[in-house]
Amino acid sequence: MMGTLSYLVFFVTVASLFAIATLGLNLQWGFSGQFNAGVVGFMAIGAYTYAALTAPAQHEHVGGLDWPVIAALVAAMAVTALVALAIGLVTIRLRTDYLALATFGIAAAINHLALNLEGITGGGRGIAGIAKPFADLPPLWFGLAFLALAAGALLAVYLLLERLVRSPWGRALRAVREDEVAAAALGKDVDRMRLTAFVIGAAPMGLSGALYAAFIGYVSPYDFLAILTFQIWAMLIVGGSGNNAGAVLGSFVVWALWSLSGIVVVLIVPTKLQVQGGAIQAILIGLLLVAMLIFRPRGLMGERLHSSPLLRDDAAVRH
Amino acid sequence: MKTRFMLAAASALGLMLAGNAAMAQGAAPSCPIKLGAIIPLTGPQGPIGKPIADTAQLAVEHVNAAGGVKGCPIEMVLRDDTGQPTLGVDAARYLVDVQKVPAIVGVVGSGIATAIVSAVTTSAKVPMVSCCAVTPTLTRLSEEGKTGGYFFRTIPTSRVFAVAHAVAATDRGYKNPVVIYVNNDFGSALLRDLEKAIGTLGGKIAGAIPYNENQPSYRTEVNQALALKGDALILIAFSQDGATLAREWISLGGTQNLVLHNTLRSQDFISAVGARFLTKAAGIDNAQVAGASVDAFNAGFKAKFNRDPVGPGLHTVYDSAVVTALAMQQAATLDGTAIRDALRQVQDPAGEVVVPGVEGIKKSLEAIKAGRKVRYVGATGPFTFDKNGDVTGPALVWKVEDGKLVTDKVIDLEQMTALFKRIGY
Repeated sequence: MMGTLSYLVFFVTVASLFAIATLGLNLQWGFSGQFNAGVVGFMAIGAYTYAALTAPAQHEHVGGLDWPVIAALVAAMAVTALVALAIGLVTIRLRTDYLALATFGIAAAINHLALNLEGITGGGRGIAGIAKPFADLPPLWFGLAFLALAAGALLAVYLLLERLVRSPWGRALRAVREDEVAAAALGKDVDRMRLTAFVIGAAPMGLSGALYAAFIGYVSPYDFLAILTFQIWAMLIVGGSGNNAGAVLGSFVVWALWSLSGIVVVLIVPTKLQVQGGAIQAILIGLLLVAMLIFRPRGLMGERLHSSPLLRDDAAVRH
Repeated sequence: MKTRFMLAAASALGLMLAGNAAMAQGAAPSCPIKLGAIIPLTGPQGPIGKPIADTAQLAVEHVNAAGGVKGCPIEMVLRDDTGQPTLGVDAARYLVDVQKVPAIVGVVGSGIATAIVSAVTTSAKVPMVSCCAVTPTLTRLSEEGKTGGYFFRTIPTSRVFAVAHAVAATDRGYKNPVVIYVNNDFGSALLRDLEKAIGTLGGKIAGAIPYNENQPSYRTEVNQALALKGDALILIAFSQDGATLAREWISLGGTQNLVLHNTLRSQDFISAVGARFLTKAAGIDNAQVAGASVDAFNAGFKAKFNRDPVGPGLHTVYDSAVVTALAMQQAATLDGTAIRDALRQVQDPAGEVVVPGVEGIKKSLEAIKAGRKVRYVGATGPFTFDKNGDVTGPALVWKVEDGKLVTDKVIDLEQMTALFKRIGY
């Protein structure tokens, strides 16, 4: 029982960390239509910033700065936002698939920087011994305390983003997403709005990466492979892009798909076929993703649109 | 549009991950003792991981055919990490928390092994015996006491290469070699170990130049290296790049006192560079371990799969599973700490030598049950976990004679262990 509880706590913690990144992507894609295919790059920046600020002194790379956890988390978000600002300024004229390709390339470049900037990132060996908050507690209590931290961060990001997208600025952002020319004609500074959304959306991704580094206590470039970008995207699309609650739900559902399907395979596949388990699991994940998209094309919770709090119109957005 | 894109992507992913499918085997009796295994079965490492998983199951089969541990058959609970650390950690958490496995074997990727040690096995006090993770980070974590002694591996670390390079260079009287090394975690870790080894054996590295893989030319790097004016060149490079580097080095007037990495031990390299430039060249490699214990594994593998055990991680994963099973038999109780301590007890230098295969394992299980000491000599030959849970292995030095590769010298396990002590690893 305790074991199952401990595993569940772990599962919810990891899913919450992913949900934070998914919420960031939801602001970028769901609300402002910017196709960021480099989510993992921003997560890596957050994770490495946190790691560099908290890892113990080591002769191979920076360390020994001993920042407090909260300060390092805030710094991770700030650095990620700054990098996003630089990237956003460069890519501001790119739309849809062009932006996707550019951000994908940037994420790959960030991964290579992580591999090669040994003095900061430890290269392929990664950074070990990162400060874990609550590390002195016994394992189960550590899990619960970290869950509280992760869930608290998720709640804070959710509430802030909800407030943001329901504000007049959020409505203008959706207008930009739907029709840039019309929005510009109405006097909205389209580039500025897109850039702001891109930067604000990147910050939670950095936070997510930083919390992941704090949770595991180790980061390496192998933590931030392109597959993770795909998983975060799947979380958003399955949950329902343009809906923050959907983004959170999608994160839990899709992460369950990846991790719990492995458990299902262990439970149902006979031992002698175990080596096929991986393939069976992969097929399972693919089938379930396809099925969800067929039966819930707008995601589990589609976008709910209302133009103003006074005028409730719950019609779903057109696609 | 969005939806259609995701549909396509999702089905593409399904196909991508579904990848290969081959044969497997196993045994699922009652009263099983669980043994966790985390091995990539899909994803980029899937093609390497699947034969490793097959071999791990072969080891479990052998143990079960030999009577099992404490009278119980072992059931391997295998999880696929897909090459993603997050999923590896998730699998480890599940195996430890829900399946209550007393030990975990396998674990191929270094990044995954370090993440699992850092997040799961150390705090849960569950030993992990990796077959394939070579990263020096884990040695460092062990030295700093951050693994609690719960991390072991059956694959020699790259330090064996560092020692071999240092021996090859100092044997030839090179006092001041220049190093050109591949710029990745492997290369930079090897360089650090090499500096220490050469220092101990009476030389000093004149300087080291990193290179990035797959470039058409390395003139810049070679010129930088030439400027260091060393008396020899130690070249830690992969085959294609190594040939380019060696050609440019020699054509720009560099010394022919070369010490080459094991990846350059090929006829292709010799013909690419030209045998007449390599008369003074030496190189290093792992020495092929031979002996009854290796033959016993090879025979067992061939009987099962009808092919020779060629490929990374096969011998080491067999040893990681068998030595863990023997430790389970040795341990008073099936808890992680007892198994951790027993892992060293089944390598007692004064013990009866026992080998792979059903017969060998049966003999050792019975000996342990009868309270006798055993020394498991495995599919990788004799090996002993050092204080960090690492193992060393023998190495060899080769040279080129009349355009052919010949072995110049073998550094056997005893010499290697002595050198490790002397260098202070």
